[in-house]
Amino acid sequence: MNEILGIAIATVIAWLNFVIIDTYFGLPEYPGVKGANIVGRSIAKHDGDLAGGFFQGNVLCSPDASAGTLLASIGVMLIGLEGGIMAAFFVFIGNRLCADPGYAGTIGALTATIIILLCSFIGLTPEMFIVGMIIAILTIQGIYHPYSSKLLGKIAKLMGRYTELE
Amino acid sequence: MIIHVSEIYLFIDYLIAIAISIIIALGLRLPLLPNKPIRFSFETSALFPTPVIAIGLLAICFSLNIYWIYDGMVLAILLGGFSALFTKYLFDYVFPKPPEVTEDSQEVIQ
Repeated sequence: MNEILGIAIATVIAWLNFVIIDTYFGLPEYPGVKGANIVGRSIAKHDGDLAGGFFQGNVLCSPDASAGTLLASIGVMLIGLEGGIMAAFFVFIGNRLCADPGYAGTIGALTATIIILLCSFIGLTPEMFIVGMIIAILTIQGIYHPYSSKLLGKIAKLMGRYTELE
Repeated sequence: MIIHVSEIYLFIDYLIAIAISIIIALGLRLPLLPNKPIRFSFETSALFPTPVIAIGLLAICFSLNIYWIYDGMVLAILLGGFSALFTKYLFDYVFPKPPEVTEDSQEVIQ
């Protein structure tokens, strides 16, 4: 498959994987760790959305599905299926060490491993997913927080995971 | 990397480890799922984190080319059993529950 096209498809798949899993497991609902609370409220103060801010804070402060997807891609690239499963296991251990109560990181790494293995049949390589995931996280964390937090807030509302905190 | 065992056997080994870990965890009276809403992963159950620990340890062994006998199946059974026992008896000791983060960021020890 053409490399640029492959990276574009991998970006979309990685973006959907981490946003859907993180939202489903309640990242926008409340800050899982202290830093996420500070980041979320700071984003809300700068015209952003509080639920989206909590999502971004949680992603920033502890391993969630975004880190899981990236680490699983790297693991599969290095040693195949074992690498993806080991990535999920180490994300799980990382969550314990960060005192993060979430499920998203481990589940995200496992789903990413399965997706990468299935997509290898249509010519998408783990390297494309690594680049794709970096671009996907850039769109959320690296361009403009108020807009991206509002988008994440809308997705949270759609999935019934909007925060009840004020 | 040199793979000594065919990939289909490795895949079956993972399925065996998952099945054994869940069955033994249920036998040890761990609940199938954590309490709802499913948000606090320090709660142990048969579906999380028992199989994750089992396949994680199995993947580490396979990546180190440790298969032992019967193409890794015995290893899968042993690690499945170990992960269930670990989750039931040692998990809370090794990974104690963290303080809860409240709205005003004050810590409340559970």
